[in-house]
Amino acid sequence: MTVKVSHDGTVQLAIHDEMTIYNAHSLKEMFLDHCHSGAQELQIDLSAVTEIDSAGVQLLLLLKLEAQKRGFILRLLRHSEAVIEVFELLKLSIYFGDPIVIHANWK
Amino acid sequence: MSDINPALETFAQEVDELLTAMEDALLVLEATPDDVDCINSIFRAMHTIKGSAGLFGFDEVVAFTHEAETLLDKVRNNEHLIDAQLIAVLLACKDHTAQIIQHVLSNEDEPLPIALQQQSEALITQLTGTSPVAKNMTSTQENKADHVEVDVNTSDSSDNWIISLAFKQNALRNGMDPLSFIRYLQTLGKIIDVIVSMPTSLRMEEMEPEDCFLNFKIVFNSRADKKTIEEVFEFAEDDCNIIILPPHSRQEHYLQLLEHFPEDQLKRLGEMLIEIGALTEKELDCVLKEQGSDHNAIIKPVGEMLIAKNILQQPVIVQALIKQEAIKQKINKEANYIRVDAAKLGYLINLVGELVISDAAIRLIVDKHGLSDVNNVVGAMSHLVEEIRDTALQLRMVQIGETFTRFQRVVHDVSKELGKQIQLQITGGEAELDKTIVEKINDPLTHLIRNSLDHGIETPEERIQAGKPEKGIIQLNAYHDSGHIVIQISDDGKGIDSEKIVAKAISKGLVKPDQILSQTEIYNLIFEPGLSTKEEASNLSGRGVGMDVVKRNIEALRGSVSVDSELGLGTTVTIYLPLTLAIIDGFMVEAQKERYIIPLNMVEECVEMNSTEWKIDHVQHYVNLRGQVLPYLRLGDFFHNNKKHQATQRESLVVVRFGEEKAGFVVDELHGENQTVIKPLGMLFENLKGIGGATVLGSGDVALILDVQGLIQYAKKRVSPTLALSMTD
Amino acid sequence: MNPLIHKKDHKTELATQDQLRQYLTFQVDNEHLAISILDVKEIIEINTITHVPMTPAYIRGVINLRGNVVPIIDLSARLGRQSSEISKRSCIVLVQVDYKDDIQLLGMLVDAVEEILEIPESNILPPPDFGGEIRTDFIQGMGRVGEEFIILLDINNVLSIKELSQLKQMADYEGSDHANREAGYIASK
Repeated sequence: MTVKVSHDGTVQLAIHDEMTIYNAHSLKEMFLDHCHSGAQELQIDLSAVTEIDSAGVQLLLLLKLEAQKRGFILRLLRHSEAVIEVFELLKLSIYFGDPIVIHANWK
Repeated sequence: MSDINPALETFAQEVDELLTAMEDALLVLEATPDDVDCINSIFRAMHTIKGSAGLFGFDEVVAFTHEAETLLDKVRNNEHLIDAQLIAVLLACKDHTAQIIQHVLSNEDEPLPIALQQQSEALITQLTGTSPVAKNMTSTQENKADHVEVDVNTSDSSDNWIISLAFKQNALRNGMDPLSFIRYLQTLGKIIDVIVSMPTSLRMEEMEPEDCFLNFKIVFNSRADKKTIEEVFEFAEDDCNIIILPPHSRQEHYLQLLEHFPEDQLKRLGEMLIEIGALTEKELDCVLKEQGSDHNAIIKPVGEMLIAKNILQQPVIVQALIKQEAIKQKINKEANYIRVDAAKLGYLINLVGELVISDAAIRLIVDKHGLSDVNNVVGAMSHLVEEIRDTALQLRMVQIGETFTRFQRVVHDVSKELGKQIQLQITGGEAELDKTIVEKINDPLTHLIRNSLDHGIETPEERIQAGKPEKGIIQLNAYHDSGHIVIQISDDGKGIDSEKIVAKAISKGLVKPDQILSQTEIYNLIFEPGLSTKEEASNLSGRGVGMDVVKRNIEALRGSVSVDSELGLGTTVTIYLPLTLAIIDGFMVEAQKERYIIPLNMVEECVEMNSTEWKIDHVQHYVNLRGQVLPYLRLGDFFHNNKKHQATQRESLVVVRFGEEKAGFVVDELHGENQTVIKPLGMLFENLKGIGGATVLGSGDVALILDVQGLIQYAKKRVSPTLALSMTD
Repeated sequence: MNPLIHKKDHKTELATQDQLRQYLTFQVDNEHLAISILDVKEIIEINTITHVPMTPAYIRGVINLRGNVVPIIDLSARLGRQSSEISKRSCIVLVQVDYKDDIQLLGMLVDAVEEILEIPESNILPPPDFGGEIRTDFIQGMGRVGEEFIILLDINNVLSIKELSQLKQMADYEGSDHANREAGYIASK
């Protein structure tokens, strides 16, 4: 996991892992840290997410909820194929409202 | 079969009923091929006959019906398409089954004759052979295989399943992944929308990420049934609350299924809903468990709970409850039926007849001896006798509907044979009349219907040319009219050509060329022996030999028949029949010392034959009664061959009505109402007109019952033809 | 056993071998006639006979026999003579005739019932070919009793329902079904 903090108060997180029940705990801790960091915008790069399950989806949903409560912006970037599949399935793209780029070589 | 085994007799009867039901159902199926009720009834016929035949060891019957049953089972499961061809084969199977059963019943130990065996084989080949497999099979099987293309156009947004999934907190820990179920759901149809929700109060700090807080509401379009959809979530059951609400079209479908729900067995609401697929067993178990666990509260009905829990829409539940009630009533009604030997019933009715006569005899004696103290007792007994009479007669009343529906087959077969398209419409089947009459009216009706089929309805080409719909219609209707049942057979065929009839009648010497006939008289010529308008005879209604027989048969039942027609538009034959041939309410009159009975329901009124008040035309034999021109018959003179007797005393005029026609009978005395037990006059008098039967009076004497209709005809003929015409019109 | 009875039994046996037949004799229009006793169901006294209008003279009417309506044939009229006058000795002989697989009970009105005659088969002669007053097919045979002959009627022909129910005179009575003939008839009255 890499964390990049820019000057204008934007924090960008890149997740290089799965988002499943197995690492849900550590993901939650990390998300929580950044919620408390006071950043105005949290960007999450999902390009390297190999797998996402209900626990992962739940965390993202919760994060969105938290963002609304705390008043910062949550942006999901570069959804991986695995993420898009799930978002499509649950019709979540509209809820998160982030542009999704579909690569040509994906199925 | 010298010693008839009662069990076999029951079997024969049962078979007869089942096959009749099967035939009826097949004919209905022809019009509505997906009538579930009918398919079930056909299946039931074959299935039950097979079972019963097995009990008696009728192997040939079992072997044959087994094949039919197998095929019908496929039809029931939508694996085989039912079409006109199959209906024709099944009709043949029905006839064949009747034949082989007839054979085994009469020659129990002999093998089937070769002809029947061959027929069996031929039909079995037709049944099992390469028949088309149902194309409109429900697509569950294919759908399960893989992704299926759902036609988006058909998926109306409102017409979807709503699946609610509320996962429990431990679901994820238990290895559930809601996503995988939803993924799998896609194999059954198209997910239109998903609403994912979680409690908004949830805070990330306190939240355990391994707990599950997710709720899903899935808008799902699929043709799968409820049970199949439920099976998707089979493994999630313990960790998830699942509610599957059917789409509106399903709801219609369920309502339809409920409409046609088999009424042979009373089922509980839950069972009914499971059977039509609106409810799954799991849903029911869940509701029942909850119902059972709630000890304190008043137990809520299952239906209410299902609505409250959003498992089913209210209309479905309401419809199911209505149906359940209907079944309950029907079953109660059926359970109260007892099969009674018709002969026993006949004997009972004869005895009741004798009782009525004895009652009259007792009253006569009581009157004669002025036994006032006995009077009350006798009066009460008479009242009871009357009630017994009515009840006993009611026992033998049956609806005419069954007789009517049998003609569906005749129409079906004959119209095919003739290359015509004909539909039989039946109304008034619930009208009741005495079984003995029903049995005897079958032949005349068959003949009249065949006449309509053969001579009435034109070929499709002729009909199109005449600007009529290709399909001809024959209507069979029945209704009650003052103590009579009226049966009408009408067709929208070519009608009767009166010119042709008159020409024919003249050539046969039935009428003189210069004779003027009313339209009614012309039509009535049809009933003359040897008169037919069709040049070529057909094998169906023959060469006009039938209509005179039809008329005779109907008159033998103390009924009458008349024809009305409009050239090019159709023909209507109207039959009047008495409701019973046993006991009627009569009105007794006396003329020249003889007593006669007039059926009470034909008596309109009785007035004094008073020439100062009514204008009486003694030459023309009519009376002007309050402006109404009424032909009359002086019964005494008429019956005693014009030995004129001096009318010294005051005479009475009894006004009688039959259908539209009226006349007056002049009699010497009125004796009032009387319960009349009809006794047949016997074969000796079968050609006698004007007298309908006889009865035995309390005194033991015989009195004759007047054939009102016949006598009205006489009365009308006696007045001049011009006057008669003005009266008929 | 009593030898007398033995003898008697022996005698009846002989008689049956000789085909002894029993006939009921009665009087109609001062003539003696007979029918086989096997055809007779019952002989009853005359009660009220209800006249049935529009029937030929040989149909006398109907009676109530234990709740059944039974037609009565005036035998005299049927044989082509005048109708019987009812007297104290008048009787009704009930017989059964077959018709269309059915049995019809009929009463024959006769002037008087006489006796039961036993006529040996050998004394029964075929009906005369002609010359008789009564239709030949009505006669089953001629029974010789002493020096006299008695006509034995064939009731299945005399009382043939098929013939009786034609009611020819009735047809005359009512004219025809057609208006003009009927009108003609009425006018001629």
